[in-house]
Amino acid sequence: MDRYRFLSPLSRASGLGSAKAGFTHWWAERITAIALVPLTVWFAASLIAHSGSDYQAFIAWAGAPVTTVLMILLLLGLFWHMALGLQVVIEDYVHGEAKLWALLAMRFLCVGLPIVGILAALSIAFGKSAPL
Amino acid sequence: MVKTDALIIESSDQVPRRTLFKRFPIPRNFGVSPGSSVERGRNWPAPANATRIKAFDIYRYDPDQKKNPRLDTFEVDLDDCGPMVLDALIWIKSRVDPTLTFRRSCREGVCGSCAMNIDGGNWLACTRFIEETQTPARIYPLANMRIIKDLVPDLTHVFAQYEMVEPWLQSKTAAPERERLQAPEDRAALDGYYECILCFCCTSGCPSHWWNGDRFLGPAALLQAWRWLTDSRDEAAGDRLDKLEDPFRLYRCHTILNCTRTCPKGLNPGKAIAEIKKLVAKRHG
Amino acid sequence: MDRISSTRPRPLSPNIQIYRPQLTSVLSIANRITGVALSVCAIGLVGWLVAAARGPRAYSWFQGVIGAWPVQILLLIATFAFFLHLCGGIRHLVWDSVRGFELRQIYSSGWAVVAASVLLTLATWFLSLTIGRVV
Ligand code: SF4
Ligand code: SF4
Ligand code: FES
Repeated sequence: MDRYRFLSPLSRASGLGSAKAGFTHWWAERITAIALVPLTVWFAASLIAHSGSDYQAFIAWAGAPVTTVLMILLLLGLFWHMALGLQVVIEDYVHGEAKLWALLAMRFLCVGLPIVGILAALSIAFGKSAPL
Repeated sequence: MVKTDALIIESSDQVPRRTLFKRFPIPRNFGVSPGSSVERGRNWPAPANATRIKAFDIYRYDPDQKKNPRLDTFEVDLDDCGPMVLDALIWIKSRVDPTLTFRRSCREGVCGSCAMNIDGGNWLACTRFIEETQTPARIYPLANMRIIKDLVPDLTHVFAQYEMVEPWLQSKTAAPERERLQAPEDRAALDGYYECILCFCCTSGCPSHWWNGDRFLGPAALLQAWRWLTDSRDEAAGDRLDKLEDPFRLYRCHTILNCTRTCPKGLNPGKAIAEIKKLVAKRHG
Repeated sequence: MDRISSTRPRPLSPNIQIYRPQLTSVLSIANRITGVALSVCAIGLVGWLVAAARGPRAYSWFQGVIGAWPVQILLLIATFAFFLHLCGGIRHLVWDSVRGFELRQIYSSGWAVVAASVLLTLATWFLSLTIGRVV
């Protein structure tokens, strides 16, 4: 509960002033969205094409250089877009100190998970027994 | 006829005849603080001789009683009453309960005083036909506002947000001897924006303003911001954009477009905000 | 917490509790819910890649999990969520270029997004089931 404070209406409305930011976030959300349109459609189409195929056939596809590059791009775009989007969702609904923790946890996931995914994609590509 | 069965709404005055949900499927007092939850009020029956009767559920709040807001049901004699929702409110005030409190002035949709939530959408009571309302008609004050009494919201904060966009012509160039000239095309750029009557139907209907209204300026103020940004005679575009470019003030708008759906003047705050975002993008690259 | 401040604490009039659901707000919240759901799917995607990288046994275990019918139903929902978010996202990109803001366009594009998502979901599942059976 906030203590009631006697502030003038204008002081309440102006708060801490403009952060003079927000454009970069908004713009990156759009850029990643545009990148994700072909990448996700490619991914969905590949999944359809490989439904029911066995491990060998699947690895042959997943280990191909084109697949690896596209997969890494997909992971980067996806988790970047996801971090931007979830940030807005958290800022909208979570207030107070919980907001900081929620943002922190979300960002760790959005940095960590794509790294794991990229390592997995690379180890499929280079046929190493996976480090994971 | 503005009541429609069409799936495609073409203008903001259209009311769907049928809706799957009258309200979002959440508990009635979901997330409502104890002092704000609405309780069942009393019934006010129609006069004995009335034949065409219509019920109105109306939000009541009396600051002099230490009680929660309540929902009263009034029966209105339609044969004794004008055609608009505002007429019904006036009829109730003069025939049934003189304490019913609401704002009105022009009764023709130009002053913006009588904005309220009618059947779940914000609109002007003076330009909504009783015929177009559900039975019982549901009359609440503008959504998400601090309530002074009954249907009278405290607009202090939203007017302060309006003040923040400095809605006046700013120019460093010395005033000319005669009027400031403006090409007809430049004047036309103001059409659809200068007509705003500051009823705040849009801001009150914007979910983003519900959750972050302390920091997000809301569609009404942002439409006015665009009205000055796009005025060829104004010289403060850069300063205006500086003050707007903020993750909350401007970018909390998620293009939900409840604002455009509800504007009783048929204006397009959602589009105005998209124009501002485009302008910010333009000066970044 | 006092979300909007005024000069005196007063009751807050209801907002989402009374506001009529409209295509505008419903599709917006749908875009958001699908976004969050797809974030969960993204975690699954990484798990799937890791399983594939670890070898045939881990991979076939993962495929087994995916093949279970409750997971299949979740996947069907996820497919719909994906297409709704994709089509809704494209609608947003068009808006960001300040196009399509007339109410008529807002409503037609909204219903188009819903229809396209349903059709694309059905097409995806039809294709993947038929291809899966052929191979
Ligand atoms: S378009 Fe923006 S301002 Fe309008 S209702 Fe939506 S979030 Fe609010
Ligand atoms: S834009 Fe429309 S709804 Fe919003 S304050 Fe102005 S007239 Fe009212
Ligand atoms: S009384 Fe003036 S707008 Fe309704």
